[in-house]
Amino acid sequence: MERWVGRPAGDAGADRRQSGDGAPTPTPAPARPARPEGAGWPARLRRALGVLRAFWAANLAEELEYRANFLASLFATIFWLGMAVLTAAVFFRQTEELGGWGFWEVVALLGVFNAIGGIVDAVLRPNIGRIVDLVRRGTLDLILSKPVDAQFHVSFRRLVVWRLADVAFGLALSVFALTRIDRAPGVDAVVAFLLTLAAAFAIVYALWLGLMSFAFWFVDVENLGILFDALYEAGRFPVSAYPAPIRFVLVYLVPIAWITTVPAATLTGRGGWATSLAAAFVAVAALVLSRLLWRAALRRYTSAGG
Amino acid sequence: MTGGASIVAERLSKTYRVKVREPGLAGAFRALFRPRYREVHAVEDVSFRIEPGEVVGFLGPNGAGKTTTIKILTGLLYPTGGRAEVAGFDPWRGGAPFKRRIALVLGNKQQLIWDLPPEETLLLNRAIYGLSDAEYRRNREELVDSLGIAGVLDKPVRQLSQGERMRCELAAALLHRPELLFLDEPTLGLDLGAQEAIRAFVREYNRRHGATVLLTSHYMADVTALAPRVLIINRGRLLYDGGLTELADRIAPVKRLELVLEREVDRADLERFGAVTVLEDHKATIEVPRRDVARASARLLAALPVADLSITDPPIEEVIARAFAGEATKGVDAAERAGDVGDAGGARGAGVPEGAPSPTAAAPPRKEAE
Repeated sequence: MERWVGRPAGDAGADRRQSGDGAPTPTPAPARPARPEGAGWPARLRRALGVLRAFWAANLAEELEYRANFLASLFATIFWLGMAVLTAAVFFRQTEELGGWGFWEVVALLGVFNAIGGIVDAVLRPNIGRIVDLVRRGTLDLILSKPVDAQFHVSFRRLVVWRLADVAFGLALSVFALTRIDRAPGVDAVVAFLLTLAAAFAIVYALWLGLMSFAFWFVDVENLGILFDALYEAGRFPVSAYPAPIRFVLVYLVPIAWITTVPAATLTGRGGWATSLAAAFVAVAALVLSRLLWRAALRRYTSAGG
Repeated sequence: MTGGASIVAERLSKTYRVKVREPGLAGAFRALFRPRYREVHAVEDVSFRIEPGEVVGFLGPNGAGKTTTIKILTGLLYPTGGRAEVAGFDPWRGGAPFKRRIALVLGNKQQLIWDLPPEETLLLNRAIYGLSDAEYRRNREELVDSLGIAGVLDKPVRQLSQGERMRCELAAALLHRPELLFLDEPTLGLDLGAQEAIRAFVREYNRRHGATVLLTSHYMADVTALAPRVLIINRGRLLYDGGLTELADRIAPVKRLELVLEREVDRADLERFGAVTVLEDHKATIEVPRRDVARASARLLAALPVADLSITDPPIEEVIARAFAGEATKGVDAAERAGDVGDAGGARGAGVPEGAPSPTAAAPPRKEAE
């Protein structure tokens, strides 16, 4: 009933000849991760939204276990915003403008900076920021064994809901700044702003996903989130305030300019439609690139080559 | 080519490239600029075939290649060579439809959300697997019932005992009623009672749903209780595929005579009957070839002052340990015995094929183990 198996090294050819059904072992074609099946986009979208709802329902319950975080988080937000505006005020005691931007325009930008920072803390840091951890603890294996796109799972499993207060406070500050410069935006400006803001979210997401995908190559990279924070600090001021070489880097290489300067500029009426469309284009390009990088990273994790 | 089998592994291989790190600062610098690599063959040329509804134990020491094989079969790793087919899918390409039919449980990793009651993870998995209300209720009820976790579903996971947690892990992993279970060390670190509960559940699930189970465990009791058939792997190579009882016959075709003596006797007196493995005070254990058991015990009873005698099988742990020891020292012998290697498991259940290992050919591992 039983079978002893084993063979001397280098005898593979002989074994192939006596293989059970005589058929040569088929060589699998180069691998590509399987695409999730589904009855078209609507069904897939509905299912994805269902999963997202379940993720966040679980998460809200999780966060409610630590209600004290809410107050701490709220205080941190208010304190941070106050400090940021004060710092800007100190700057503007010395100068009339910063890279061509007036005080309240810079404050509007700080609002955007804070809102995007809130998204980073609410969604990106607790999810993509923990990829290293998932790889190390092997939780990624369990995620990969589930019939849900792993990128989706890894990106949106958690939501630190309190940090969304940053988004609300940030946007409120921007709106308040707008009232001070007496430049009430029209409907088209608001639409353009929302478009650039959405693009900013997408770009930030892509940056994080791209950065964290490197964790698969350099597992010992302890905290890529800190690298992001350092880069993101540059977004605190309008890019026009920086010397040309740095401006080039922030616009074209590390697209920080598109994350804060562009939405704020659109809101204060400095950017035209061309800028908004360019932002959308950059966002799509960044998403596609980061997806490719993620796929390459997964191929590496699963040793499928590439 | 599958012929209705649940799992087919055909000459699976997995080679990792590992960076060689020389010791010391100089070595670290050299590795930085001119890294050297070494190939590690985690799995080499492993073939087997598991029929639907079978429960198979997968045994081997740490680092033998068990987990790598399971990862290949569940589509988490891409094999360097060979072919796998699981539930009719290529695990790597199967995508969501494949993943809905399997469950992967890793004893040392958890999917339960730490700060929440297990119920929340069940709800999450219900969305992930897209279960209808009816399916969810039915499966949940069955699992809660057979795992006996009704009382713990609403307690935060962090407050559960390890046994409770593992039972909830199983509920979360099997909520979608998979037909194929890959259980990697499901009883790791559990106390005996908890281990037994998991075993009973796996047996019941297999019986009720005809599910195929591939199980690895450090605890031999898991395997002897659940799996009539075992695969033994060491250093990436499959050493044995067959029944547990036949394994003992092959590797250790001996019985143990456990004696209680009325007075102390010389070791030499005992050694006339077989190999003495234990001798302390009035107790002794002698191993004798299986076919000689009756004769040896009769002679023993006549020649020595025996107060009590019992005949047992050597524990399976020792049998397996011998298999590994034998493999390590006599790799070439093992290779020579490989009569039907290419047969991808086709010979299983068909008896020992012609030209395949005869009883005499199987003798060496026993001798070398002694």
